[in-house]
Amino acid sequence: MSFRNRMLAPLLVLFAAAVGYPLIYSFYLSLTNYSIIHPKTTHLVGADQYVRAIHDPDYWSALRVTFIFVICSVLLELCVGMALALALQRQRWARNFTRSFLLSPMFVTPIAVGLMFRFLLNQQLGVIPTLLAKVGVTYDFFGVDRALFSLVVIDVWQWTPFMVLLLLAGLESLPRQPFEAARVDGASPFYTFRRITVPMMSSVLTVAVLIRSLDAMKVFEYVYAITRGGPGTQTQTAQYFIYQTGITFFKLGLASAMAYILLAMVMVVIVILFRSVERAKNA
Amino acid sequence: MTTAVASPSDERDALLDQGVTGRSTWGIVGRLLLVAAFFVVLMPFVWVILGSFKTGAQLNDPALLVFTPTLDNWREVLDSGILQAAGRSAFVGVTTVTMSVLVGSMGAYAISRYKAGGGATRFGILAAQVLPPAVLVFPFLAISFTLHVNDTLIAVIAAHLSFVLPVVTWFLIGFFDAVPRELEEQALVDGLGRFAAFRKVVLPLVAPGIGASAIFGFVLSWNDLFYALILAPGSAATLPVRIAGFNTFRGVELGAMCAAIVVSIVPVLIASFFIQRRLVRGISGGAVKY
Repeated sequence: MSFRNRMLAPLLVLFAAAVGYPLIYSFYLSLTNYSIIHPKTTHLVGADQYVRAIHDPDYWSALRVTFIFVICSVLLELCVGMALALALQRQRWARNFTRSFLLSPMFVTPIAVGLMFRFLLNQQLGVIPTLLAKVGVTYDFFGVDRALFSLVVIDVWQWTPFMVLLLLAGLESLPRQPFEAARVDGASPFYTFRRITVPMMSSVLTVAVLIRSLDAMKVFEYVYAITRGGPGTQTQTAQYFIYQTGITFFKLGLASAMAYILLAMVMVVIVILFRSVERAKNA
Repeated sequence: MTTAVASPSDERDALLDQGVTGRSTWGIVGRLLLVAAFFVVLMPFVWVILGSFKTGAQLNDPALLVFTPTLDNWREVLDSGILQAAGRSAFVGVTTVTMSVLVGSMGAYAISRYKAGGGATRFGILAAQVLPPAVLVFPFLAISFTLHVNDTLIAVIAAHLSFVLPVVTWFLIGFFDAVPRELEEQALVDGLGRFAAFRKVVLPLVAPGIGASAIFGFVLSWNDLFYALILAPGSAATLPVRIAGFNTFRGVELGAMCAAIVVSIVPVLIASFFIQRRLVRGISGGAVKY
């Protein structure tokens, strides 16, 4: 075996064991009626679980909820993150501390973030509703038609730093000349941003948005900590719904089929991400 | 004729402002935004730290800032075995990261230098990081039942390898890409074998990158709830699973929950301060050169 393959082989073996095998096993599960309680009765049922998943309105509702969550979160994170990155680029006082501190939410255990906000936003015990009440506003953060947006706000608190991290790096690695030329020509800051900064950052923006979208798609902890899918099924996200199907109702086969359908959808985004990364790397 | 010599810092300031001076409207808006962001980030941390020193009655008054602190929550939470859970989380993190760095550094080097495995391998490594965990968790559960390792750390370590290994490898590819080839070529000319050149010349150069990858991989493992909750909900529960167990509205446990949250976030926050700058190259797999 050549040197390069000898170096790669251990990685491939471990990767196949930790990712490849479960991935194939999961596909097998999705074709069976596997039950944790009666594993002996497992047999192949063909595409039955897929048919069941596709005809389950709750599954589609969970996908819709997840889609709305991802779009809202990532768009807000992109806008707020860009504004903060531009502000941080010019900020010089206590520079390193400010940056590290503003980036810190992305490292906090998500279940802890979920629980913190559950109580911060709680009607009786929460600081924010108490403060709002003092100015005469009553707002139930986890009420009907509001809970999903509150989860978006929590996601924005935790993950805007991720956008800031990548966008700030993108801003700081831009060449100087175009900006100097724009300044000499008297271009307005907004014009410079729209016509120079954004186009030159397109690959960073694409990579940041795609990674964040794929990550937001996995949202589970906030739902588990706060709403458990409610009110009704308004915050029942795909990851949480599949968890319930597999763990609470022991339907591992159906849950695996649902996960595989989700994977097929996500795969499109992953391929786009891969192409953007390869292109940016070779540029 | 006097020529003003612009010092590098003057030039830099002029560039940073890009025609926008600190006194302009945009400069002020930017500063206000940063101040606002600072308080938005700070507030939950302050609340949870204060909460960990409040009694049940004091917790019912969320706006209370000045009070006689109590250590009861901390005593209760330490007696409840939270440190053992933190120890289990640390064990899982260190084990997965060690395996990932050992195997991942060699693999990443082969991928970065020799394009080993081709595009398919790189795609697999990227895809594994962003895969929905719901796809992999049920096989891990079924296998752990078959092997009778359900509710043990072995199951959690195996599951965490499925995302820590690709993340660490991906990071390292980005860092190896940044090492100039000439250095190893010189080492080969000097008579070192190819593995020796890797171990003695290249590895020391990417040591900071390895450190950043290891810490980031550890943070991911430490923070995971989904796999740990499903594979080890009982006696081998990791810290996030234990924290999720405080999920209740009773005041006394709210205080203990705050203390448990502090235990879980302090180590990762400290660790993260050292790696933030290097994260960019790592996360983007070398696509954002920073």
